[in-house]
Amino acid sequence: MAEHNSNKQNDQEYLSAMPNQEFDQAVTTMQNNIQTEIAASSALVGRKEEISRLKAEYSDDDSPYQQKIKELCKLYSHVRKTRGDGNCFFRAFGFGYLEVMLHNKKDYSKFQENANGTFKKLMSLNYPAFTVEDFFENFMSLVNSIGEKTTLEELTQSFVDEGLSNYFVVYLRLIASCQLQIDADFYQNFIDSGKSVVEFCKTEVEPMYQESDHIHIIALTSALGASVRVAYMDRGGEQLIFHDFPEDCEPTLHLLYKPGHYDILYPR
Amino acid sequence: MVGSALKRLMAEYKQLSLNPPEGIVAGPINEENFFEWEAMILGPEDTPFEGGVFRTTLNFPTDYPMSPPKMKFVSEMFHPNIYPDGRVCISILHSPGDDPMGYETSAERWSPVQSIEKILLSVMSMLAEPNPESGANVDASKMWRDNQEQFIKHAEKLVRKSLDLPENL
Repeated sequence: MAEHNSNKQNDQEYLSAMPNQEFDQAVTTMQNNIQTEIAASSALVGRKEEISRLKAEYSDDDSPYQQKIKELCKLYSHVRKTRGDGNCFFRAFGFGYLEVMLHNKKDYSKFQENANGTFKKLMSLNYPAFTVEDFFENFMSLVNSIGEKTTLEELTQSFVDEGLSNYFVVYLRLIASCQLQIDADFYQNFIDSGKSVVEFCKTEVEPMYQESDHIHIIALTSALGASVRVAYMDRGGEQLIFHDFPEDCEPTLHLLYKPGHYDILYPR
Repeated sequence: MVGSALKRLMAEYKQLSLNPPEGIVAGPINEENFFEWEAMILGPEDTPFEGGVFRTTLNFPTDYPMSPPKMKFVSEMFHPNIYPDGRVCISILHSPGDDPMGYETSAERWSPVQSIEKILLSVMSMLAEPNPESGANVDASKMWRDNQEQFIKHAEKLVRKSLDLPENL
């Protein structure tokens, strides 16, 4: 830890001593280095682990977290981690949903149909067919494979492959963006940064590595007719807080949110 | 990762060869390596750069199109949005968050649905309409703002240079 701090200080001194243009370049390089470090230490989608393993991630006397983990252990048996690269919500959703669909044929056909309809919607918003098609085809081939004889292992292979996995995430981001724009009047109320819905989509939804908020989850689940429960675990309050998207749904997929990050949960 | 980048770059090359946008020729320098491209850009009509043929290189990351390429002018340039070493400073070459020049939020950013064609067209319009607010070359920004006549003269010299013509007749 001490070493980490002194590095940080050196970085700051190093940065403040340079002219502006070089500063920007250095910040970018530093961010890239951090990303590379994260990439080296965690898989895009990890193994299914016993939920109780979360206990070891916090010190024993960290009672707000230990209390909430106890609560989690009663409801969930396993957790699957995703890489913290800003895409974690989309990646956790993509993998988690398809994993459930492997054994849920009824919901699957509805999901597949909704997924199929998204390309036309994007075209109606004048997105460039040439580039969008590439992402759509990759996306549908993975979605369609769930209806065929894909195994969990094959699905995992696709999601740990950086190329395939990121292509899938790009398209999920486009689906969310498309939904936000189609229902712009509704979603504008949730954007408090003063950006228009289109600006918000271009800067905070479509680009990779941008983190997700409630608004992304609402848009994505509503576009795909999906239902998700998120368990929020942070230092505030005594108990876990749950949010269902859409409200009052019977959730198909469960996610765990810790400040800044989403993982997949498996109910008991 | 490299596989999907390569597939996409090949598709873009094919598209650019079949339907080249006016004033632009682009492709890999060497077909053995699709991650290094060269693009020739024609100076847009009715601008100080009219008639020039400017050589640029594009360097693609292995996670393209998740991240944008880096673009550089090889031909000598003097322009508010081109660094003295040739690097191009334009919002579409940056992801949001990666925010060097403090572009306006409405400025077009890199996202995976953008394309090489879109970048090159943006660079062409940047040649036509410099943005002195995001000054990569302070001297050029100043001259563009304070002494357009001199800027135009300078640009005309660069046009002749780009065509391998002597600087003065």
